[in-house]
Amino acid sequence: MEVLKAISLRKYFKTRKKSRGSDGLVRAVDGIDFSLHEDSIFALVGESGCGKSTVARLVLKLLKPTSGSIQFKGHDTIEFDKRALKRFRKSVQIIFQDPFASLNPRRTVYNTIAEPLKIHNLATRSGMKDAVSEILGKVGLRPDILNRYPHEFSGGQRQRICIARALAVSPEVIVADEPLSALDVSIQGQIINLLTDLKNETHIAFLFISHDLKVVHYFSDTVGVMYLGKIVEYAKTEDLFEKPLHPYTVVLMESAPNVEPERYGKMHSAPLKGEVPSPLEIPLGCPFHPRCSKKFDPCDRIVPELQASQGRLVSCHLWNPY
Amino acid sequence: MPLLDVRDLTIGFTSADHRVPVVSNLNFSIEESEIFGLVGESGCGKSITALSILGILPQNAYAQGTIIFKDTNLIELDPESMRKIRGNEISMIFQEPMTSLNPVLTVGYQIAEVLMTHRGMKKKAAMDRAVDLLGAVQMPSPEIRLKEYPHQLSGGMRQRVMIAMAVACSPSLVIADEPTTALDVTIQAQILELLHSLRQERNVSILLITHDLGIIAENTSRVAIMYAGRFMEMAVTEAIFSNTKHPYTKGLLESLPIEKGVPLNPIPGFVPRADELPSGCRFSDRCSYVIDRCRVMEPEFIEVSSGHFSRCIRTEEIAWKS
Ligand SMILES: Nc1ncnc2c1ncn2[C@@H]1O[C@H](COP(=O)(O)OP(=O)(O)OP(=O)(O)O)[C@@H](O)[C@H]1O
Ligand SMILES: Nc1ncnc2c1ncn2[C@@H]1O[C@H](COP(=O)(O)OP(=O)(O)OP(=O)(O)O)[C@@H](O)[C@H]1O
Ligand code: SF4
Ligand SMILES: [Mg+2]
Ligand SMILES: [Mg+2]
Repeated sequence: MEVLKAISLRKYFKTRKKSRGSDGLVRAVDGIDFSLHEDSIFALVGESGCGKSTVARLVLKLLKPTSGSIQFKGHDTIEFDKRALKRFRKSVQIIFQDPFASLNPRRTVYNTIAEPLKIHNLATRSGMKDAVSEILGKVGLRPDILNRYPHEFSGGQRQRICIARALAVSPEVIVADEPLSALDVSIQGQIINLLTDLKNETHIAFLFISHDLKVVHYFSDTVGVMYLGKIVEYAKTEDLFEKPLHPYTVVLMESAPNVEPERYGKMHSAPLKGEVPSPLEIPLGCPFHPRCSKKFDPCDRIVPELQASQGRLVSCHLWNPY
Repeated sequence: MPLLDVRDLTIGFTSADHRVPVVSNLNFSIEESEIFGLVGESGCGKSITALSILGILPQNAYAQGTIIFKDTNLIELDPESMRKIRGNEISMIFQEPMTSLNPVLTVGYQIAEVLMTHRGMKKKAAMDRAVDLLGAVQMPSPEIRLKEYPHQLSGGMRQRVMIAMAVACSPSLVIADEPTTALDVTIQAQILELLHSLRQERNVSILLITHDLGIIAENTSRVAIMYAGRFMEMAVTEAIFSNTKHPYTKGLLESLPIEKGVPLNPIPGFVPRADELPSGCRFSDRCSYVIDRCRVMEPEFIEVSSGHFSRCIRTEEIAWKS
């Protein structure tokens, strides 16, 4: 079942940096569509500044879109009244990258997790302690930590507390914005296992944001590859990793270091030259063309549309003759 | 003779009335024109080791042992002589160039300053040389970038400036502490390619510090795996990955998502604090191979086969291939 849907979502930020060739608008998210389904994981990948976190904030309704909309179970969230909005806020939870910054340092573990339960009347006063302990158990934490404060925990434990807080209200959607990137390798492995258990044991739909393709491959069902505010390839995870079509997806995969034996000591040359252009001055034509080794005649003039090709969506003239 | 030879290096901090060692008895050497990797989880002592080689440990730290660099024991060197070596024969690249560059000076001047300090060059000549160096690190339009301030550059360009400064005086050793951690994968690949070209074209040896096993696998010729201030395993890079001899290294590799659907087997628990280490083997409280004897005495760092060292009493018993 489709739980949440983004339709032609745009978010432009105004800046004072007007210059030639720029109207001073940061096109952080520039017309994207995707849907989140019950029991499944949709991943957004892309380099820094491509708009991933802005999408997350739009989905959570922490930001108002410039245009486009978010539908929750078929209803446009713009039209939500106060009660519907409260229900929406309960149903859609977030886990951030930095588990320290997202926990209140003066609140004990107990209070951190009891608060959402109180707000949404999910436990009685007498049953609160048991409810909190049960939730902590789900993320592999023991109830003897209830009275401790965030600074007493390691990064991985804090991330577990954040996940527990998100789970407390039995959400239908969890938005996870780089939930692993602040953690050590062994702790990342632990949290991946925890998220995989949640995926298998609940019906939660995940919007999983990451720049780590290995993790995305392992964890997600569908992937949207973002570049400068747009989705340039949208595919089933297997298909994407089996055969990436968009030239940007290809270089992203080639650039990621990995431990496969054929790559030991074989530093390859960098697959992609040049820097990501500023979202203030998005190139004409295909936004990727200045860095693309496959570019040809139409690429610097005509914007490729995101169109169906080989069982997925891709925006590249190579695959969609215009 | 190796370029750098470190023997029994122990580093610690003095607090109030006692000393807490954070790095103990490191032994390793770096050959000419070699990229030597140092990998381990947060807090294991990688940066402190780097700082001790450069002679820039914090005030409250102490270092014992010998660090022989071209016939000189750096540990015994007076501050004035050490200053002459630092930035000159041994230089450093840090993770976050923004904090190590001066925000109010142009990047060109900052590169020139290195040459004026160590080579006694006049400003005009040093600035000319700075343009060449920026070109050598493949900075786009070096003449223009020369006059810009750090905040006007992207993260990748700032790292290029750091590298230009590091190689300005043709060092024989460059210590790169997480040089690409703050960068996108496509830019990371460019910076790593640049480090390789320095090694090849200028005969520079590089101590590459990272927590990313993929970067280690692809870029180093030998590697030391560090845990809680100790080397646990050291070998040529290929042997570390294909003939793993230490449970910690094995645990790190099994924490990585490799194949979809195959559950990870990450190391449980978390890294102990320097003042709360378990008795015996420092990894014993997280190790899946632990036996009683492990907790009695800390294992020696044994050469299990030529050039392959491991600190584990069960190294020989365990069938490492699982
Ligand atoms: N409030 C804001 N005002 C102006 N520009 C903004 C604002 N928030 C984000 N941006 C810009 O929008 C673009 C997208 O930012 P966003 O944080 O969504 O990227 P991201 O993909 O999450 O990057 P990262 O991987 O670094 O987290 C960036 O260029 C950013 O500078
Ligand atoms: N100024 C200091 N005073 C006291 N202890 C310190 C100080 N600086 C570092 N330490 C301790 O020394 C140990 C090693 O720190 P170091 O910075 O070398 O770790 P690292 O391996 O570089 O970690 P990371 O991957 O997080 O950079 C840590 O336990 C740290 O807490
Ligand atoms: S449309 Fe052209 S420039 Fe853009 S990715 Fe495809 S080939 Fe490259
Ligand atoms: Mg972000
Ligand atoms: Mg460090």
